[in-house]
Amino acid sequence: MQAAAAGIGLRAPHLAEIDRTRPKAGFLEIHAENYLTPSPALATVERLRADYEFSVHAVGLSLGSAEGLDAAHLARVAALVKRLEPALVSEHLAWSTFGGRYYNDLLPLPFTEEALDVVVANVQRLQEMLGRPVAVENPSGYLAIAQSTLTEPEFLAELVRRSGCRLLLDANNLHVTAHNLGLDVGDWLDKLPADAVAEFHLAGHAENDADGETVLIDDHGSAVRAEVWALFDRCVRRFGPRPTLVEWDTDIPALGVLLDEADRATRVLADAA
Amino acid sequence: MEHRMTPTRIAIAAALASAIASPAAAQMPMKVEKCYGVAKAGQNDCQTDHSSCAGTAKKDNQPDAWIAVPKGTCQKIVGGVVKG
Amino acid sequence: MLREWQAAFAAQLLTDASVSEKRLAIHRHHVASSLARALAVSFPTVEALVGAEFFRETARRFVMQDPPRQPVLAEYGAGFADFLAEYAPARGLSYLADTARLDWALNVAFHSPYAGRLDAAALATMTADDLAGLSLAFAPGVALVRSAYPIGLIWKASQPDAGDEPVDLARGPARVLVLRQSDGASFVSLGEGEAAFVEALDDGRSIEAAAGMAAAAEPGFDLSRAFALLNTCEVFAALQH
Repeated sequence: MQAAAAGIGLRAPHLAEIDRTRPKAGFLEIHAENYLTPSPALATVERLRADYEFSVHAVGLSLGSAEGLDAAHLARVAALVKRLEPALVSEHLAWSTFGGRYYNDLLPLPFTEEALDVVVANVQRLQEMLGRPVAVENPSGYLAIAQSTLTEPEFLAELVRRSGCRLLLDANNLHVTAHNLGLDVGDWLDKLPADAVAEFHLAGHAENDADGETVLIDDHGSAVRAEVWALFDRCVRRFGPRPTLVEWDTDIPALGVLLDEADRATRVLADAA
Repeated sequence: MEHRMTPTRIAIAAALASAIASPAAAQMPMKVEKCYGVAKAGQNDCQTDHSSCAGTAKKDNQPDAWIAVPKGTCQKIVGGVVKG
Repeated sequence: MLREWQAAFAAQLLTDASVSEKRLAIHRHHVASSLARALAVSFPTVEALVGAEFFRETARRFVMQDPPRQPVLAEYGAGFADFLAEYAPARGLSYLADTARLDWALNVAFHSPYAGRLDAAALATMTADDLAGLSLAFAPGVALVRSAYPIGLIWKASQPDAGDEPVDLARGPARVLVLRQSDGASFVSLGEGEAAFVEALDDGRSIEAAAGMAAAAEPGFDLSRAFALLNTCEVFAALQH
């Protein structure tokens, strides 16, 4: 996939308009779990493949599950990837399933050697099933897990080394995590294996006052914040231009607003090229 | 094959032939209600609910004490018997 | 050990108990509120009927009791209608559970495949005996929802563009046939004879037997009209042979 033009997260309210008007966009990213049924939306995406490159972003594989991956869900995601032949496939460094229940949240992992073994095994199984490497994304963090013996970038670097996966660097998530957990962004970026970064994500976040303390919430509900644009610029200069996506999931705006955000990201990529 | 060309069966064949031959729209007012188009797909995402802030934690202690009153189009539904 | 840690973490997610770690509350609230929002997408008529606030709390309690078993949220909520039937705060809304059944059937239809519909022209070449003895299968997603209440009218009155006219529950019962069309999900209201015809066919009965049962259910049953309606709605699957 070209890194020249930023893509947008394809969201249901925009599907019909994009199908009708085919606006210019670097690529379209879908959440795998929304297209695992043969709905008319999947038929629309299949039509759109004629004009757009796709990225499949899974949100429910639960790569951090100690119980391993759900074979049935894995098979469904693999079938979608086979069907759409996307340029990129990604998922989060998180867990969302335990004991046969799906929590619909990107839950945090303790960054331990044991968790690393678990995630490496799950990523390897996913990659074997898909027959291709996947990119693993840093999620937004709200909790510092006391049991952790590694930092998040150390954990990601080791994951890359042992599984051969790539990384999806979400600048908004990094900003949110760094604020909430008091991390040094420069130190975080220094520990990341630069060659492994395959995609950037951008999105808006909210500031919530929690009993006198400001917590940033990764709600994907507004324009990308100035601090995150600055961090994105820093990431692009450090890792080079990579396919970049703007996500907006809450209070979804008119398509034009989202495309304008993507245009801004495209300009950042062009400046660094 | 057993052939039992009864009057009923001939009537059934005629009814189906007529149904197939003439467009249904011409026979009756079509009252198909369109419910969902493609805009429905998309329940999975990867954001965090911003109403999930820690400051709302105080609500947790009393969820069962709080029961809202239905307030929507149910106010248009009349003639029901209120049970219980 | 990660397994035990995740078990302990998960145990704190689906609970009403106050958790001392306030940051954990972010995850706990997200689990309940995001799943409640997913249910609102699958049950839009229920949400419109009771309003967003009542729906959110109702859905939250359902989530606590019956969380998803797999990640595809479009497939979550099969038990919501039964939950509503027993849900005390909605006891006054006797029609709510049946309305949820209609919403769920529409959701299932939307996510069902659209392929292989009956080519009615193929029937034209068949003998009267073969036609009468034919069994017709329904396409994926087709479902008949019966209710003592006028759920089709209730659905209509709950649409964003509906007027203020009231719906009298005495206008029930309803027999609503839910369909998967090429671009979405729809429904059409059936008469008693048409509904009996559909149910008989769905039981695997021949057209002849089904027409007989439909006529018994509604003396004025018009086979030609019923078949034309069903065929136009593309509810029949392609013939198997």
